[in-house]
Amino acid sequence: MSKTPSILPALQHSDSFFPSGAVSFSWGMETLVTESHVPDAEAVEKFIRAQLTERWASFDRSIISAAFVASKDLVDLRKLDSIVECQTLSHEMRDGSHRCGLAMLRVHEELGTPLAKEYRGCVTRSEACGNLAVMQGFLWANSDVAKNEIWALSAHTLCVGILGAAMRLGCIGHVHSQRILAALHHTIEGLIQKPPLPLERLHAFTPVSEIAMMRHETIDSRLFAN
Amino acid sequence: MKNTVSGNFPAAARIGIGGPVGSGKTALIERLIPALEGRGIGVAVVTNDLVTREDAERLKASGLINPNKVRAVETGACPHTAIREDPTLNIQAADELVNLFPRTGIVIIESGGDNLASTFSLDLVDYWLFVIDAAGGDDIPRKKGPGIVRSDLLVINKTDLAPYVGSDLEQMKVDAIEVRGDRPIVLTNCASGDGIEAIIDHLSQSVLFDA
Repeated sequence: MSKTPSILPALQHSDSFFPSGAVSFSWGMETLVTESHVPDAEAVEKFIRAQLTERWASFDRSIISAAFVASKDLVDLRKLDSIVECQTLSHEMRDGSHRCGLAMLRVHEELGTPLAKEYRGCVTRSEACGNLAVMQGFLWANSDVAKNEIWALSAHTLCVGILGAAMRLGCIGHVHSQRILAALHHTIEGLIQKPPLPLERLHAFTPVSEIAMMRHETIDSRLFAN
Repeated sequence: MKNTVSGNFPAAARIGIGGPVGSGKTALIERLIPALEGRGIGVAVVTNDLVTREDAERLKASGLINPNKVRAVETGACPHTAIREDPTLNIQAADELVNLFPRTGIVIIESGGDNLASTFSLDLVDYWLFVIDAAGGDDIPRKKGPGIVRSDLLVINKTDLAPYVGSDLEQMKVDAIEVRGDRPIVLTNCASGDGIEAIIDHLSQSVLFDA
């Protein structure tokens, strides 16, 4: 008897209660707030919308989709991991992607998610990096998250992660963050109406956050890892 | 003990050290490192500085430990979360240290300075200490809080300062015993080293077994 599709696995993985290490990453927001480039709620919303449209939709989403499809094939997963690695410019962005991906992988290994232990072995042997977008597609597929939910799930976790950082950096309040999240729903829904780009057309252009993460590397006083 | 290490070495014990800002957590670690190494136990340290890398840099520069055996983990302004709800990055850092230094006997995980409500996830540590200090006020044990009540070992540090700030050390001890029941308490003065061997004895009995 086949299992009834359920939204519950997606809810489990979209919740900040799920341990993923995400709380330690601001993805450039810390530098931008510290240097007053992102001073208020309007700027936060603009920043996140740019992340969604200029990187997530044209890059992460396709990787997540491909990893979901390749979730039983460690060779294909490693190829996807290499693509992400080669196309991610700043050191702190790559480092954040590795650390979040590995945190997720280790938790899933302990939960007994199929192939999590084997892929962690690949990372330990330096045969793979464990980039976050690949781990999301791979581990969500092997945790019974429905395919039609992975894009909303991924976009939601991206938004919530950056909003949480902005809130802890003091430039938005708890009500503002919910207002922004609701406003971004329309953007996300529009983006996921279209099919993901094929891998040969992947691209991303988010210079503000990339440069912010590069500048973050030399900041002594820091709350976040990027 | 949590970690499985390749080779014939036993898995390293993971010890959490929490407590309010300024209670002397880093000073305690500076005392524990030579005391543990003196008993032949290799030490590695993960720090959770709140805003800077001050604690990590202080330990690296101390000359007490190979600087490569110290890792700093940023907590995104959520020190509670990093040791309790989502300790994944601390686990990752501890794993990396043990893999790099397989003879490590203890990984000390120092929480960011916090209040009395912090606790460690038992998926992160095998045993945890909570450090308060006499100069912080002698009413602290009476205020309870999970750190004071539930830690495996309560450390009351800076005992030498009690007379200068009007803290009743004996009352602190009585109150701590009352709220903790049979759980142990050690009084320390990290400036002089008083009480450090007693802590090592507790660690030896509770998590090192053969030390």
